[in-house]
Amino acid sequence: MLSEQALTEIARERAKYPEDRAQSALLAALRIAQEDQGFLATEVMDYVAHLLGIEPIRAYEVATFYSMYDLQPVGRHKICVCGSVSCFLRGSDQILAHLEEQLGIKVGETTPDGLFTLREVECLGACLGAPMMQVGDRYYENLTKDRVDSILAALREGGDDVG
Amino acid sequence: MPIIEIDGKPIDVAPGTTIMEAAQALGIYIPFFCYHPKLSVAANCRMCLVDVEKAPKPLPACATPVADGMKVSTASRKAKMAQQGVLEFLLINHPLDCPICDQGGECPLQDITMGFANPHSQYTEEKRVVEDKDIGPLIATEMTRCIQCTRCVRFGQEIGGIMELGATGRGERMAIGTYVAQAVRSELSGNMIDLCPVGALTSKPFRFTARNWELKHTPGICPHCSTGCHIDIQSRGREVMRVLPRPAEAVNEEWICDKGRFAYAGLAADDRVTQPLLRVDGEWREVSWAEALDATVGGIEHLLREHGAQQLGGLISARASVEELFLFQGLLRGIGSPHVDHRLTQQDFRADAAMPLYPALNMALEDLEREPVILLCHGFPRNEQPLTNHRLRKAVLAGGQIFVLAEQQRDFNYPVTQIVAGAGADVALYERLCRYLEQPEAIAELQGDTVLVRAAQALRAADNPVILVGSGALRHPRAAELLYWIGQVAALAGGRLSWLGEGANSAGAWIAGCIPHRLPGGAASPQQGLPAGAMWASGLKGYVLMDCEPTLDCWDGAAAEHALCAAELVISIGCFSREAQRYAHVILPAVAFGEGAGRYINNEGREQPFRAAVRAAGEARPGWKILRVLGHSLGVEDFAFMELEEVTRAWQRAVGEFPLDVTPLAPFPHCASGAHTAAPLLRMGEWPLYRSDPLVRRSAPLAQQAVARLHPEQAAALQLHPGVVEITTATGKALLPLVLDRKIPMGAVWVPMGFPETRDLGPAMGPCAIASAPTVAAAALAAV
Ligand code: SF4
Ligand code: SF4
Ligand code: FES
Ligand code: FES
Repeated sequence: MLSEQALTEIARERAKYPEDRAQSALLAALRIAQEDQGFLATEVMDYVAHLLGIEPIRAYEVATFYSMYDLQPVGRHKICVCGSVSCFLRGSDQILAHLEEQLGIKVGETTPDGLFTLREVECLGACLGAPMMQVGDRYYENLTKDRVDSILAALREGGDDVG
Repeated sequence: MPIIEIDGKPIDVAPGTTIMEAAQALGIYIPFFCYHPKLSVAANCRMCLVDVEKAPKPLPACATPVADGMKVSTASRKAKMAQQGVLEFLLINHPLDCPICDQGGECPLQDITMGFANPHSQYTEEKRVVEDKDIGPLIATEMTRCIQCTRCVRFGQEIGGIMELGATGRGERMAIGTYVAQAVRSELSGNMIDLCPVGALTSKPFRFTARNWELKHTPGICPHCSTGCHIDIQSRGREVMRVLPRPAEAVNEEWICDKGRFAYAGLAADDRVTQPLLRVDGEWREVSWAEALDATVGGIEHLLREHGAQQLGGLISARASVEELFLFQGLLRGIGSPHVDHRLTQQDFRADAAMPLYPALNMALEDLEREPVILLCHGFPRNEQPLTNHRLRKAVLAGGQIFVLAEQQRDFNYPVTQIVAGAGADVALYERLCRYLEQPEAIAELQGDTVLVRAAQALRAADNPVILVGSGALRHPRAAELLYWIGQVAALAGGRLSWLGEGANSAGAWIAGCIPHRLPGGAASPQQGLPAGAMWASGLKGYVLMDCEPTLDCWDGAAAEHALCAAELVISIGCFSREAQRYAHVILPAVAFGEGAGRYINNEGREQPFRAAVRAAGEARPGWKILRVLGHSLGVEDFAFMELEEVTRAWQRAVGEFPLDVTPLAPFPHCASGAHTAAPLLRMGEWPLYRSDPLVRRSAPLAQQAVARLHPEQAAALQLHPGVVEITTATGKALLPLVLDRKIPMGAVWVPMGFPETRDLGPAMGPCAIASAPTVAAAALAAV
């Protein structure tokens, strides 16, 4: 179900913890599985739980807690807009509304062309640059509607890491 | 020892005690939801906040250990504000639908709100709604009511041993559920209903049928296995409405299994008999007691005259009370028949003479938790004695080691080392274990038996390990050989034998003399009778059956049916008629669960009396009264009992004091090895969890489906695919859905006992053939 490489990486994570603490490797194992598979289907979580010898429900609990895990297929770019206090005070709701309008989707949805998924998440620890969002591995801070437009345009043109 | 003060009262407690525990010791009530003395501390509901001097903020009493000199106030202004605040938050998302909630009247949230909340809420926004889950036929969910205390989750993880419920999602979206739709499978699942402090988890069978304040409570003893859990039978009028556990730390702590909790639903079965039934010219007729007793007594007298008492046999279940068992054997022996037995599921009786007085645990259930090394011989207590299994689980969690020798792998809910050899080869496991115990120096050279060698080493290293004889050992077709080897293992390992009794009153049945070779109290019977299996083989002319359905309860249902149908007289004393009508001539209605009084002796040797919770249905009579009348009418001496207590006293006089620790009366004989069935395919049968007695079989919420199980490789070798298969034995056929299961050994097919569908197949273990079902038959089955 997972690639050789993913299995090796999970085994390496597992080895970091004592025999009876398999659960400690769960966060990392789920991340590796998601990178390998694109998202965490129930069968993937079951398999990870099986690899670690823990009950599947433990994997479901962790995977549904963190917004970084995707339980459904996502678009090529996952846009995570912070909606927590600092960002909210600096207008994150308007940024979100603007994104919805520009992409033609609601929070939680994926554009029909499979390019963008839009999410609202909790504080990403970049309050200094509020309002902010994360796309892929990268943070975009001090957002305005114009800046959002230019980021979207660059992403549409094929960039993965635009700034 | 820290000395602390709660609400001005000083107390001296052990270090590490929490404020909650100290307050309870002082009799001071602190409200709580998530705290439970048998579960780990989660401290997530915050209901137990108390005001601790010098602490800036209120602290959770359930999670705060005491410190010397601590001054706690549970009712200061600060504490009160904390309590009110927590309740206000908890109620924000609670639907407050008490009038339609089954928990109403027995709900901590209701009570604590009445006692501690601010009557005014500031909340005017929308409440969240959580989707209900379908988690099976036993537990109804109303998840919007959940307060996320996680008691149910912790129960699954810490007590049930299979974690099925979890808390998924985060913050406002957190919800309790299974995530993927599935029924909970734990045999202890019903306890979550009791643990849930709100109406989120309620009993499906009981739902919407009564309010708790309408119910009468009667203390009872569970009749479904040898643990003998204490139960609270709750009734309204003449009806048992539900069964809950009654706290008994030494027996069931505060749990019961789902069998004990939901079997009562079987009382509603449509074949419950409440009026004596007589077969007249092949037709069943309801008759008066007088007529039925005339027919019974007349029939027995006729049989005695024509064929002699040797042609009459009596079989009774191990759910009968001590009094009934005592009278039953007294009746049979009083009219001259030595053939009396209760061991319906057994087949091999060659070790009878050596058996101890009764199958005793030889220790307290609580002691089981502390055993470091246990060898479990052929048993699956998770099915057979669920709450004894709970003690074994605790032993393992405390660092104990359990080795299991058996004929197939099973789903233990704790780590054990299972050593299996398929049916036919399993006796040899014990033989090999003895070799390794005998010659430790040779162990190093032995190859390929590493697990068994490990067991041998652990047993040798342990001081007086427990050799636990499971119910499966006595049911084994070569039980006597097993027992011989088990005795050898115990001797070589310097261990002690301990027995897991099968029925609620197995101990009582042995002690009361419902066995063909011993009288009440264990003295050898002057006249050796036939044991259960042999009664069928000998084709007696008459049978008296009490509280059993031999066609489903016996090791060989087909043989039982054959013998019963051929007999001239079959008297069935019991609560249900469907099976009995196939073979009986008279059916005498006896009281059912909850309607009778008596006493059981559990696996520990604990005598546990119980009384009736509700009046008998219709014309049903207590078993002991029926037996008394029969004995009296048939001229048996000393049968003129008027009260149950007189029977109890007569039993006590006959038995005297019985020991709690028993040893085999003689070394187990070395029996010749029984013919090993060299069949290409062996039928392996056992009674599934909810098919073990007439009442539980009739409980609709506990319905189980009959299926055949095969190892996937065995199925492939036989070119069988999941679907319907036809199993054929010398005596009959059965059509069953096939399930692939890696736990079944090669060369065997698992086919359950206790189902009408498999009745005709005969012995629980024996040769059989399997084939894909003919399409017509399969279609017919699918249509059902
Ligand atoms: S379902 Fe009941 S026991 Fe489980 S978390 Fe919710 S309130 Fe607690
Ligand atoms: S463990 Fe045995 S005695 Fe206890 S409730 Fe279950 S069946 Fe009844
Ligand atoms: S509140 Fe948005 S990054 Fe912290
Ligand atoms: S009872 Fe202490 S926090 Fe729930």
